[in-house]
Amino acid sequence: MSNLFNNLSAATLASLEVGQHWYWEIGGLKLHGQVFLTSWFVIAVLVVASTLATQSIQRVPSGLQNFMEFGLEFIRDLAKTQIGEKEYRPWVPFVGTLFLFIFVSNWSGALVPWKLFEIPGGELAAPTNDINTTVALSLLTSLAYFYAGISKKGLSYFAHYVEPTPILLPINILEDFTKPLSLSFRLFGNILADELVVGVLVFLVPLFVPLPVMVLGLFTSAIQALIFATLAAAYIGGAMEGHH
Amino acid sequence: MHWTVFLAEAEGGLFDFDATLPLMAVQFLILVVILNATFYKPLGKAIDDRDDYVRGNDTAARDRLAEVRQLTERYEQELAQTRKQAQSIVAEARDAASKIAAQNLAEAQAEAIRKREVVAAEIEQQKQDAFASLEQQIDALSRQMLEKLLGSELASR
Repeated sequence: MSNLFNNLSAATLASLEVGQHWYWEIGGLKLHGQVFLTSWFVIAVLVVASTLATQSIQRVPSGLQNFMEFGLEFIRDLAKTQIGEKEYRPWVPFVGTLFLFIFVSNWSGALVPWKLFEIPGGELAAPTNDINTTVALSLLTSLAYFYAGISKKGLSYFAHYVEPTPILLPINILEDFTKPLSLSFRLFGNILADELVVGVLVFLVPLFVPLPVMVLGLFTSAIQALIFATLAAAYIGGAMEGHH
Repeated sequence: MHWTVFLAEAEGGLFDFDATLPLMAVQFLILVVILNATFYKPLGKAIDDRDDYVRGNDTAARDRLAEVRQLTERYEQELAQTRKQAQSIVAEARDAASKIAAQNLAEAQAEAIRKREVVAAEIEQQKQDAFASLEQQIDALSRQMLEKLLGSELASR
């Protein structure tokens, strides 16, 4: 059975290897090598693009500078609408990098034929289809909004747990767990599901049929990046908001 | 299929948390710092500078426009004032001219009257003279006619 499956997958363009990882051992720590390889690719893309865009900054932008400025304006608008005109500026790098990293990760998973590269274990895919990445990003978001709230209001930030009534205390505490949980699982689930659907479809019907799903996947990937960044900004904004 | 197997396995699987998580977080924070230096700061500065530039130019242009409007208004006021002045000067000059004309006319009329009177007196004088000489001649003529008609003896008698 397993043999048959292997033969079948060798014959087709794509095989499915979910939950398999290429382990790196560094100082007794286990790492998912394939995630780091693709994340380094994503980071390199972002760093190279932004470095090239800011090589010679013109007052009248053109080419890559124009494109990146468009991206930056988009990120700024996103942060501004969620966090507010007064406070958004220090948070633009964090929220923007969340968006850019997730967006480029997702699209690299959809556009770069990672699976053609042979690696010793597992297979290359978008960094965001590993739960470690999404949980890392959402935990950072949690830390960010705690930091935002405490740096803005001091210890009275924790007063919001008993607002509007102390009865809601458990729910308010629960929220701090559901926020990163929902953030990470939404992203992880969407990206993994998309790659699985595409993988299964390619596995069953290699030609043309997966294309609409792939296009849908591009759309979903962009939306997921937007949702993650928007929610992160909204949480940060909510923590700083002084509505009490 | 394949993945269900790995979900259940002790090693690996979908929810395999390990050192990837903290390292990914650190990596992400480093990316934030790098992008802040190479992307957000310089491009944000470029955008802000451009906004300032556009806003500054806009304000300057507005100021200049206001200045121009003010100047126009002032010049228009000055123009109106000058026009009024010119009109009053013209009116004054016209008044003066008509006064002078009237005076001249009066003088000329007076002169004319005076001259006419002088001439009339002269004429009168000459008329008197003429009448006087005429009377003498008439006397002489009538004497001659008398002499002719009556003869010199009778006449001289």
